[in-house]
Amino acid sequence: MDLLGKSLLELKQLVADKKISEKEINEYFLKRIKKYNPQLNAYLTVNENSAHLPLAVKDNFCTKGLKTTASSKVLDNFIPPYESTVTERLINNGFSVIGKTNMDAWAHGSSTETSDYGPTKNPWDTNRSPGGSSGGSAAAVSAYLTPAAIGSETAGSIRQPAAWSGVVGLKPTFGRVSRYGVIAMGSSFDCPGPLTTTVTDAAYLLGVIAGKDQFDATSSSIKAADYNQLLKNKNKYTIGISDDYFDGVDEQTINKIEKSIEILKKLGHKIKKITLIHPKYDISIYTILQRAEVSSNLSRYDGIRYGNERNEFGVEAKRRIMLGAYTLSYGYYDAYYKKAQKARTLIVNDMKKAFSEVDFIVAPTAPITALNLGEFEKYPFFGEVMDQLNEAAAVAGTPAINLPVGLDNNNLPVGMQIMGNYFEEEKILNLAYQFEKETDFFGVIKRGIDNYKD
Amino acid sequence: MFKPVIGLEIHAELKSKSKMFCQCSADYFGKKQNSNTCPVCLGLPGALPVPNKKAVEWAQLIGKALNCRLNRNSKFDRKHYFYPDLPKGYQISQYDEPLCSQGYVEINQKKFRIHRVHLEEDTGKLIHSGVDTLVDFNRSGVPLVEIVTEPDFDNAEDVKRFLEELHTIIRYLGVSDADMEKGSMRMEPNISLRAIENGEEKRQQFELPAYKVEVKNINSFRFVKQAIEYEIERQKEILERKETPAQETRGFDEKKQITYSQRSKEEAHDYRYFPEPDIPPMTFSREYPDSIKVPELPAQKMKRYMAEWKIKEQDALVLTRDINTADFFEMVISKCKVPSSKQIPNPNQSIANLIINKKIATTMPVEEFAAKAMELLQPKKTDEKALYILINQLIKTNPKVAEDYKKGKTNAVMFLVGQVMREMKGQADAKIVREQLENELKKR
Amino acid sequence: MKKSKLNKEEILHLAKLSNLTLTNDEIEKYRKQLEETVEYVENLNELDTRKVEPTSQTTNLTDVFFKDGVENKRGLSQNEAMKNAKNKKNDYFVVKRIM
Repeated sequence: MDLLGKSLLELKQLVADKKISEKEINEYFLKRIKKYNPQLNAYLTVNENSAHLPLAVKDNFCTKGLKTTASSKVLDNFIPPYESTVTERLINNGFSVIGKTNMDAWAHGSSTETSDYGPTKNPWDTNRSPGGSSGGSAAAVSAYLTPAAIGSETAGSIRQPAAWSGVVGLKPTFGRVSRYGVIAMGSSFDCPGPLTTTVTDAAYLLGVIAGKDQFDATSSSIKAADYNQLLKNKNKYTIGISDDYFDGVDEQTINKIEKSIEILKKLGHKIKKITLIHPKYDISIYTILQRAEVSSNLSRYDGIRYGNERNEFGVEAKRRIMLGAYTLSYGYYDAYYKKAQKARTLIVNDMKKAFSEVDFIVAPTAPITALNLGEFEKYPFFGEVMDQLNEAAAVAGTPAINLPVGLDNNNLPVGMQIMGNYFEEEKILNLAYQFEKETDFFGVIKRGIDNYKD
Repeated sequence: MFKPVIGLEIHAELKSKSKMFCQCSADYFGKKQNSNTCPVCLGLPGALPVPNKKAVEWAQLIGKALNCRLNRNSKFDRKHYFYPDLPKGYQISQYDEPLCSQGYVEINQKKFRIHRVHLEEDTGKLIHSGVDTLVDFNRSGVPLVEIVTEPDFDNAEDVKRFLEELHTIIRYLGVSDADMEKGSMRMEPNISLRAIENGEEKRQQFELPAYKVEVKNINSFRFVKQAIEYEIERQKEILERKETPAQETRGFDEKKQITYSQRSKEEAHDYRYFPEPDIPPMTFSREYPDSIKVPELPAQKMKRYMAEWKIKEQDALVLTRDINTADFFEMVISKCKVPSSKQIPNPNQSIANLIINKKIATTMPVEEFAAKAMELLQPKKTDEKALYILINQLIKTNPKVAEDYKKGKTNAVMFLVGQVMREMKGQADAKIVREQLENELKKR
Repeated sequence: MKKSKLNKEEILHLAKLSNLTLTNDEIEKYRKQLEETVEYVENLNELDTRKVEPTSQTTNLTDVFFKDGVENKRGLSQNEAMKNAKNKKNDYFVVKRIM
């Protein structure tokens, strides 16, 4: 049977109908991984024992008995003795982890180049970065080395690689999905979420992993919606556009987004201009708070109970640890950390105000399409600017999705994001589904997969 | 002249069933090393803390018992430092919003102020052996209440009495074993000296000395006293040389009874506290503190024993030092129905005496103890006829006493009372014996 | 926010607080990059936060606890706890003697 490009739910149906066995599906993907992973480096660890419907999982989710490194040599041989809540829920729902995907070490970065195990290559152009930090997950989905993947986002780490690799990527509301067992980066920002080939798969996976977890005190007790059920509603929405989010964005990207906005209009949605606090402030807020949390979260890696000593930390981790220690240290706390916390309140209020006027904010996911490997070094903060359009939703803790909206002249995917209000993932997914039905993402996902024939 | 300025930090492990932020047993004592952990208290990658409700309530109970204000808003913070017994590289503690603040403990009409009471997690245990330090994380994450006093003490004796009272209070609340041998209560005095000139304090009262010496982890009241006394002398010598003692942390050598320098604090002081992002803040309603019920505390109990049962002050104090003794005493009282009589004007005091003097073993069950006490405290039946014969016999054989008595040495009669009581093997009422003796002596 | 030029001593202090050992090259590199970042984030001074409360978390959750004594579903055996350690002795984790 030709499995190439089948969505996760299609595969699930085939298994349910006994048209194919889970074993055959695993063999199929293991074969593809063997064939294409050497050139893409999307997976760090492959689970040959995967027995159920396979999913790729970013290497910062603890998987019991399966090596978990967060792409850092510090955790070179770490075999977790426990399962993260997300992977446990996936396993309990009949999935198995076929492999752990490459990422920026500790999720520090937007290119997957800070991985201690070498960069992942963008399946659209292997000289380019797939984005990051969930670059391995995005590339694995894009090249169909898995039907779907789980990533995590602190600020852009799902949306931006989804944009650059041309797949669907959903960052849920902070607290919608448990962080228990996810190697912490920025604890007040981290959100696990799915990367998929269809909106339906994203909605389905969110349904599986969302919901209160007794082991994560910050997980919300608001009940997860029946996301798939709500997809097919033909609701009409008001969509907000902020000019600041097109500032300095590449011309071709702007064109694709504008074309997509026209399609949304055609579908009966209203477009409204809004103003938001400029994203340049989001960068500052995010940088201060996230570095502080990073410096704290990485303190546990002392090489005593597991892993290697602290001198194994890479350049980026050390840099972040140092800055975090600085902003929290005696005499600087109020000037940096406290100030950023207050500015964070302004962003939260700004987003709430926006969502009292509009249902969504639509914007480019990234200012440019995929950079060449090594190009990031030219940008300040090692590419934090690549994430600047993602940071408002990260700082506010609101949900957003990336959808492919075409290819630029270099045949590289362009991504558009739909940002929504707190816990309104079902609305975002509904609009995304309408868009998918109308455009089929302009064939981007299919073309990406076709580049990697069986 | 110098006046000591002493403040205290006291840590008490709570005896909740679970640890502070995970469901591992808080009872780590005697378990195989590293057999009482989970991803949370071992600080594994990705593990998250969830606070134990009971530990929060118990910290508030301690706060209320120490007359603190229970804060409406409270939160946890991360306190950062590196040490092998601290698995996460930070301790979850409380910084600027503790559960309780501004209390006091009153001892002998002196008030010692409590600065704050907060909740945190204990560390693992280190064993130094040869060239190695071994780490056991069984204790990691056990709830720890930290009580911080104001620097209100100026002598070691007050400190000792304060700590004894605090220890008694915590034991009364039933929230901690406060067992110092096992390390479940640990004390850290900080000591400095303030210069006084011509009886006037050189600096203003509220201004603290420019340095502070902290003595770490002492586990007996006596040692705290010795450490403070040693520090006062040591610092006095330095100050008299016109030097300033170093701001530092010192340890206490129990054998030599001296303190010794452990580490200087300038570097280590930067704990980089920030709000624990993994734990949502805590909020408490205005009415909430009323729902925290503080049992009768030793000082109140003591007052009640004196007022209600007319127990002597010193005895009431002794009886209330330990909650088990006090409970035992009260149960015996409730079971012993002894009427007051001429011989036993206050049976409660007599029962108190029996317990304090260990006349009957207090290890036996309450019922048994009560029965024995009743027997001992029953008014003695006096065999009047036998007494009459005995008295006359004794007066005859002791003519000197009779003579002395007649000469006005009325106390001489006490010798005969003793003789009678011995002959009657205690089966007589001493008062009756004396009355009868005096009657007979007067007849002569 | 004060404009601060970071000096080498400050970098060494931060490294010590962070339990990191840096080479001379690293010290200079991080000094420059930290300065660059610190300069960038100065733009927050353009935002008026005088009447604003700080945000530590965006969930609006409060009072999340567990009940004392509930079943421990996550306990690790001694073997599981020790398995990933490089240095161990008699089921203890081992570090170089520190006192």
